[in-house]
Amino acid sequence: MLTMKQVSKVFRTAMVETHALRELDLQVNEGEFVAVTGPSGSGKTTFLNIAGLLEELTSGSYLLDGVDVKSLDDHARSKLRNEKLGFVFQSFNLIPDLDLFDNVDVPLRYRGFSRGDRKKRIESALERVGLVSRMRHYPAELSGGQQQRVAIARAIAGDPKLLLADEPTGNLDSQMAREVMQLLEDLNAQGTVVVIVTHDPEIAARAQRNVHIVDGVATDLDRGPSLVRPAKPAKSGDHPAA
Amino acid sequence: MHFLPIISTLRRHRTAAALIILEIAFTCAIVCNAVFLIKERLGRMDRESGIVEDEIVRVQITGIGTRSDADAVTQQDLAALHAIPGVKAVHVTNMVPFGQSSSNTDASNKPDDAVGGVNVGMYMGGPEQVETLGVQLTSGRDFTPEEYVDYDAMRSSAVKLGSVIVTRALAERLYPGQNAVGKPIYMIGDAPQTIVGVIEKIARPNEITETAEAQYSALIPVNLPFTIGGNYMIRVEPGRQAEVLAAVDAAFNKVDRNRIVLHRDTFAKIRESYFRQDRAMAWLLFGVSLALLVITALGVVGLASFWVQQRTRQIGIRRALGATKGDILRYFQAENFILATIGIVIGMGLAYGINLWLMQKYAVARLPGEFLPIGAVLLWSLGQIAVLGPAMRASAIPPAIATRSV
Amino acid sequence: MLGYYLDLARRSFKKNVALTILMVLAIGFGVGASMTTLTVLRMLASDPIPQASGKLFTVQLEPRKARGENPPEPPEQVTRFDSETMLREAKGDRQAMMTGGSVAIEPQRPGLDPFFSEARFTSMDFFAMFRVPFVAGGAWTAEDDAKNGHVVVIARTLAEKLFGATDVIGKTVQIEGTPMRVVGVTDRWLPTPHFYDLNTGEYGQVEQVYVPFSTSRELNLHRSGSMECWGEHGGNSTALDAPCVWIQYWVELESDAKVAAYKDYLVAYSQEQKRTGRFERDPNVRLRNVMEWLDYKEVVPNDARIQTWVALGFLLVCLINTIGLLLTKFLRRSPEIGVRRALGASKRSIFMQLLVEAGMIGVVGGLLGLALAWLGLWAVRHQPTDYAELASLDLPMLLGTFGLAVVSSLLAGLLPAWRACQVTPALQLKSH
Repeated sequence: MLTMKQVSKVFRTAMVETHALRELDLQVNEGEFVAVTGPSGSGKTTFLNIAGLLEELTSGSYLLDGVDVKSLDDHARSKLRNEKLGFVFQSFNLIPDLDLFDNVDVPLRYRGFSRGDRKKRIESALERVGLVSRMRHYPAELSGGQQQRVAIARAIAGDPKLLLADEPTGNLDSQMAREVMQLLEDLNAQGTVVVIVTHDPEIAARAQRNVHIVDGVATDLDRGPSLVRPAKPAKSGDHPAA
Repeated sequence: MHFLPIISTLRRHRTAAALIILEIAFTCAIVCNAVFLIKERLGRMDRESGIVEDEIVRVQITGIGTRSDADAVTQQDLAALHAIPGVKAVHVTNMVPFGQSSSNTDASNKPDDAVGGVNVGMYMGGPEQVETLGVQLTSGRDFTPEEYVDYDAMRSSAVKLGSVIVTRALAERLYPGQNAVGKPIYMIGDAPQTIVGVIEKIARPNEITETAEAQYSALIPVNLPFTIGGNYMIRVEPGRQAEVLAAVDAAFNKVDRNRIVLHRDTFAKIRESYFRQDRAMAWLLFGVSLALLVITALGVVGLASFWVQQRTRQIGIRRALGATKGDILRYFQAENFILATIGIVIGMGLAYGINLWLMQKYAVARLPGEFLPIGAVLLWSLGQIAVLGPAMRASAIPPAIATRSV
Repeated sequence: MLGYYLDLARRSFKKNVALTILMVLAIGFGVGASMTTLTVLRMLASDPIPQASGKLFTVQLEPRKARGENPPEPPEQVTRFDSETMLREAKGDRQAMMTGGSVAIEPQRPGLDPFFSEARFTSMDFFAMFRVPFVAGGAWTAEDDAKNGHVVVIARTLAEKLFGATDVIGKTVQIEGTPMRVVGVTDRWLPTPHFYDLNTGEYGQVEQVYVPFSTSRELNLHRSGSMECWGEHGGNSTALDAPCVWIQYWVELESDAKVAAYKDYLVAYSQEQKRTGRFERDPNVRLRNVMEWLDYKEVVPNDARIQTWVALGFLLVCLINTIGLLLTKFLRRSPEIGVRRALGASKRSIFMQLLVEAGMIGVVGGLLGLALAWLGLWAVRHQPTDYAELASLDLPMLLGTFGLAVVSSLLAGLLPAWRACQVTPALQLKSH
């Protein structure tokens, strides 16, 4: 589903070169529920941005559902993003001037679905997250947890193959956090690949697979050390294979 | 005030900064030229006619069909008009200052002068012309009764016109530095006329260009019948213009009903009519200038507000690090000052460029140098006033924002 | 998608009413001012007789005394002698001589005082050459020209004033004491500008009475316009051999070959006049068609041109202002744009969305501009200048107003929309 090989991301300014990702390898297959952990500054947000086609990689290759993203122009990447991916952000990122229906509608519009098709999908998505009755309300009228659920509805309305979540429970209290995680697990059970970036070990524990990113390199915490590929001599913070 | 950091910040917001600079530049260029044009027009409108304007009314009549008795009727008209209470003097003339229609001829100090002649307006009128118009004699004298000739006689060259009175500018032109009184002037017919008097000035009915020729006129002592021009100029006692105008119809009809009154104006109306275009132009330029300044000010407000909002976090951090409200305010004012300065510099260049083009194409005068500092001060002030609102809002941003993680 | 973009634009306006109003006002005023001045200018510079302006020529000869250097340009009018001679020799397809005048009319209707009317003293071909429309009757005949016929052509408004009807052929009009028979009534005709005689007013009301030139001399009717004399005329400047120019002479020539031939004729005529001693200078002839003539006379007032430039400059500043405001408006929405991009909107979609927003401001601004242009022209019409009454919005200018508003706001929106769609989604979301 998601295949990254030797992916590097370098940020260059006039004075400093930052290697956010160093020849990272990762493979995520159908049906998996992956939690990506790592200290801040480790590159996990960068990883998510690249995985979500929000940023371009400096070197290496990334195949999303079999499509090599390197050759894609902005238009094609947008399309791919639109069709295959769903996003859930830490700060929900709902558009405040639109009601819930129109918020979930946004990605569908860029997909080009017909009016009736969109309506069906929106209602069904909101139903799945349990908010269809408040379809015409505005985000400001909802609690944090509810807003996040709407964001999830928005993410799944187009039947994406891969759901990417960046600290989805970061702004929620523990009760709401549990509800959201339950929702994500249900979605995974129904066939969507879910990749969550989190720094909360409790959340990570609920995932089926854990990947740890440190200093731009990814390590599976439940797999063998064969995937570890230190490009440089061991630094402090590199976790040896468990 | 540290300008360098401000400039480097502006370079990161190049587009918006460039837009403000351009807006100020174009506004400066257009407003400078517009104000200058307004000044020119107002100057034109202030032009003196040389006559006692607030005591003069003009009535223009015409007759129906050919008249053999026009001269006699005209004399009766003059008598009838004199009888109206409030009338001090009357004469019949062919043309009126600012009256548009004109009779001109070439005049020179030499006979048959094809090269050196100048174009001169001819104010024909009977006795009382000088008195009616109230023109100032600076040297020489008014005409004597014998010097007046009848129009028909003059046209058929049966009688030669002997004397004229000229304006001071014309006298200077023909006889620079000398006393023109007594000197000849070749205007009408082969023989010259003698200059018997010089008046200060009288405006011509129209000017084709604003050259020196606009000041060249001559008073010609001719008894005109009302069928030539038909302008009765009436000098009245101050304040009685309306009263006299109301009585003229009756006076004319008593003499001869078979005539049509074309115009009944105070001189003020003639002047107003003549300068109407200039007035309209001045108003239009004024309106546009005002609108431009308002729009530019609003543009500055809009862009400055945006910048304040974009930099809210940095401002909070600065405050948290010790900057006072005044520091923040001064920062934005300095930023605006820099932008305005660049805009003004470009704008002044544009203004002079536009002026050069106007000079060449539309015969406008050169933009005087004092517009530079005046325009600069105007636009600086405009910018500073406009940026005040957003800058005050910026200075009100609480330092606590710095600690908030968003 | 267009419907979606329109809906989003509408929401965006509602959210930011003050800013939207400001932009609409800027575009509206800029466009309104520009279109007002452009309409006036277009009217002033228009072709007064498009169906024939290329075929009608005004004649200029150089009959003046040879004193000093030769002036580069011959006088703008011709002498009576030359006009009558050229008219007799009739070398053009059509030709007419003419001058302005004024006549006193004594109406026969009770209750109407005698009044003054602008007149034209001309010859028969005037009406055919200048395509003057008739509502009744037609021009007089060549015989009337030759024999000083007491005939007259009057304008429709005059006919209605005098007789209360337009079908008045054969009726009599009392002109300066002489009864004249009406042979034609012209329909509404307002050549703009008054090209054939710019001395009697460049724009505005046209003559109401047309009299054969020969008749006007017989009756000694009062002439008006400009006259330039260079010698003694013994008191009668309108005599046949007076050394004065005061007549306009127009000729119709169907083809370029005929134009060349006529020019040769004028030169030959001038040489002949020089030989007999009447002309003193070398031949210096001009044959200008209508537009060339108007151009030479610089008939469009400078003020109208300056006003147009000022209005366009104003529009330019309004546009720069709009670019700036749109830029801030769009960039303020970077977070939302970032979200949309993350959700799959391509740069192009965002660009189009924002451009539609700019376009909509243009549409509303265009409506405002239209209203303001209409108002502006109303104000112009009430100015007491000659051309005032004619200033009005016709269909091309109406569409032009709208088009100008929409095109300029789209142009203004290009840079801001492009900048805004460059926002990388990752950056925006990270800052949250």
